[in-house]
Amino acid sequence: MSDRQFTDEESVPEQGHDDVDPKGPDRESGNTREPLPDRRTFLKSAAGVLGLFAVSSCTWQEFFQKNFKQMTKEEIEGTIERLRTQYKEKYGKEFVVGAEGPIDGTLYAYGLDIQRCIGCRRCVYACVEENNQSRDPQIQYIRVLRFKRGNMDLEESTIYYNPEEVPEQGYYYMPVQCQHCANPPCTKVCPVQATWTEPDGIVVVDYNWCIGCRYCMAACPYMGRWFNFAEPVIPKDRINTQTHYLGNRPRMRNVVEKCTFCIQRVRKGKYPACVEVCPVGARKFGNLLDPDSEINRIIKTKRVFRLKEELNTQPKFYYFFAI
Amino acid sequence: MQRSGFFVRAVKTLVTGPPVYYVWVLVLLTFACVGIAAYSKQLQTGLIVTGMTGYVSWGFYIGNFTFLVGVAAAAVLLIIPAYVYQFGPIRDIVIVGEALAVSALLMCLMFVTADLGRPDRLWHLIPGWGILNLPTSLLGWDIVVLNGYLFLNLFIPGYILWKAYHNEPTNMRFITPFIILSIPWAVSIHTVTAFIYNGLAARPFWNASILAPRFLASAFCSGPALVMLLYQVVRKYTKFHVKDEALFKIAEMIAYAMAINLFLLGAEFFKELYSDTHHLSPLQYLYAGLHGKGRLVPWIWCAFAFNVAAFLIFLVPATRRNFATLNVGCVLIILGIWIEKGIGLIIPGFIPSPLGEVWEYAPTAVELLVTLGVWSLGLLILTLILKLIIPIETGELTKDARTAA
Amino acid sequence: MKGKNRILVVAVAALISSTLATYWGLLASIASAQPYVETFPELRRDLRKQLEPKVKPGEEFPVPVKPLPKDISPCSACHGPKKDFPINFRRKEALLVHRNIELNHGGVRVWCLDCHHPEERNHLLPLSDGTLITFEHSYLLCGKCHGTKYRDWREGIHGKRTGEWNGKKEYYLCVNCHSPHSPRFKTLEPMPPPSKPWTPKDESAKH
Repeated sequence: MSDRQFTDEESVPEQGHDDVDPKGPDRESGNTREPLPDRRTFLKSAAGVLGLFAVSSCTWQEFFQKNFKQMTKEEIEGTIERLRTQYKEKYGKEFVVGAEGPIDGTLYAYGLDIQRCIGCRRCVYACVEENNQSRDPQIQYIRVLRFKRGNMDLEESTIYYNPEEVPEQGYYYMPVQCQHCANPPCTKVCPVQATWTEPDGIVVVDYNWCIGCRYCMAACPYMGRWFNFAEPVIPKDRINTQTHYLGNRPRMRNVVEKCTFCIQRVRKGKYPACVEVCPVGARKFGNLLDPDSEINRIIKTKRVFRLKEELNTQPKFYYFFAI
Repeated sequence: MQRSGFFVRAVKTLVTGPPVYYVWVLVLLTFACVGIAAYSKQLQTGLIVTGMTGYVSWGFYIGNFTFLVGVAAAAVLLIIPAYVYQFGPIRDIVIVGEALAVSALLMCLMFVTADLGRPDRLWHLIPGWGILNLPTSLLGWDIVVLNGYLFLNLFIPGYILWKAYHNEPTNMRFITPFIILSIPWAVSIHTVTAFIYNGLAARPFWNASILAPRFLASAFCSGPALVMLLYQVVRKYTKFHVKDEALFKIAEMIAYAMAINLFLLGAEFFKELYSDTHHLSPLQYLYAGLHGKGRLVPWIWCAFAFNVAAFLIFLVPATRRNFATLNVGCVLIILGIWIEKGIGLIIPGFIPSPLGEVWEYAPTAVELLVTLGVWSLGLLILTLILKLIIPIETGELTKDARTAA
Repeated sequence: MKGKNRILVVAVAALISSTLATYWGLLASIASAQPYVETFPELRRDLRKQLEPKVKPGEEFPVPVKPLPKDISPCSACHGPKKDFPINFRRKEALLVHRNIELNHGGVRVWCLDCHHPEERNHLLPLSDGTLITFEHSYLLCGKCHGTKYRDWREGIHGKRTGEWNGKKEYYLCVNCHSPHSPRFKTLEPMPPPSKPWTPKDESAKH
């Protein structure tokens, strides 16, 4: 079995505030906003603006860190050391920050059997746990859309369904996450090349290079990208310390993040967390270049479709019906 | 000796003025400080203090940016009629227009920076040091053309005024190519800005090739309207002369531009309404509301009414030639285009979301204050520039004037 | 004449201006265009060879064995030719002993002995060559009726696998997810829905 088990109780995000960083902004929940700043806040912030660099609390090394693609091996090692120290200070744990490169001869693709999916959202929370997503404000890479049987009209779908039991009569479900397009509209718009496609087909973000312009979010037709509108809050005891530089290492505020097919897992040969957790086995993952991989057998024997194919984004995320 | 003399006298010019000048500058400075304080709050907490969400990921800042790019472009495009019709001494018009362009551009850059999550990483955009993703990123290209345009608009008036200050004749053979170059450059800054949105297949509201022409047409309305108001203010408080005829000519031009703008809007409307696909949804959200949500509906109909009213005012010679109605028209058109472009063009692009959700957007107090701050800073820059250059332009501030004094 | 020249110059400038920006857009499009990648060139190879199952029937599957409940003694303790309960091929409305079994598999078409071996009670019905099927290899029996599902399962399309996408995997057996007596997948309680994003309305509600 997998090294990380996701049971129901474990995956439920903490609703309480006990383990929320007390220094974090005092918000009731992820969807409330700061009220109008009062005069005292103004004075305080006026002092704060004097030091733009202090605000960002960067060390010089971090400030001048290069784009990951341009780093030498030594620079990568140095960066990882610094990140580990930083994370230990923040979360009190030893982190593994990997920088494993792509495995030769791999091109990852994903299959999702929408005939099978029951809309239980186990994948959503497994993903949050595995990938250290902010619990407040809430970031969830996977959206599970519920359609009424009889159409696939996105405007008629909802992601907020909450019945006692799933699946519900008369509905079907379709999870949507980053589709890891072969012709991604998001990477080409980035003004600083902070996001790119790795040789194994994974679309990644260098969180330390992203300038936070959110152009990629406007460009993505699948809502596959998320922005840390505030400092991410992850309870210390829920943090996953097995990370990858381009994957699930803790992020900072005001940068974009996204699904990476669990790069920290798949580059070590493991299935992504969402595949491991799916109770109905609707989620499939594998190597497109291996003719015997599960994903290839699906493509060859089943009817597959890709979301919004008319946009020529060429997703490597295949929906299928395994009748 | 001479150079330091210029700076001393420049500062002297800037700090002396009638009481209304001091009040104006002080008000702007106060608002600018308020804006800076609000921005620092945003820096410390993150963009969560804005109304933007994962659904509507661009908002008020980018809307104002888009509007101001249009102003910057159109201010310079006024050179065309001035040049074609040989309307008075060309350099008068060029210089005030370019002063407006410079301040509008600086405001654009401030708005983009305010919208950035990580302004501390701006250096990533500098080619060589960071990586500017050219040619594929339209935003990268926009940064290049905006900065090039800024340089051009600093260089041209800078040269002309330097010559004027030293009482030397302007070498038109030298400067005309730059003036001519600034025309296509003005068009290109606005076209490229339109392309930023236009190129996104994920957002059908923007993904229509009519977008860039619409941008230009609406810029030709709002920019000149601002210039007209500016000329009247300048004319009132300084010895700078602008003929009435010039203003009426501009008003006439605005009427044509507005006609084109309304025509293009109609074309867009026809295409979406008649084909009646899902691509209609953003337009429906904007003009009628979608799934019971229609926050922008009153705004956009106001904009439409303003634009049509202003069009009629500028079309009829009697109202065009009357300063009372002319100024009403100017204000209407500035407000109309600001709503249409700043709000009505950016926000509906995100509604409904690519996965069909309708989540509305409204700017928060922080966003409004930062916006106020940027506008105040921009107007302050414009005021100071004009305060400095108009005496040079009118011959009050020259090298010789000092020796005479 | 001079006015005409000026108009000409402006016209040329306007022409340049409209094309300058546009061509940059075109350049950007060309530079970023991706040729349509033929993702599956291997599809052109011998299709029949491709469709051969990776794991041959009868081959061992790396499966987590689902143990029988501990309180159950071997079936042969009670069932058998000379035991208390004689072989009954007919459907009964009520089971005397196995009351906990809710039989809801194929309606009236299926009865205990359509799967369980009537004589060799510790086994399931045999394959056509007479090989007895143990409870651990129940998928072989399931495959007798559910051929298409069995084929998909063997290829990893139906059912769940965990472990390594390119190495050691663990397969879930049919009975790991479907109770053989009542195979319909049980409904689950869903995890909480996502929180809704901030909307303008919330602000007024908050104050």
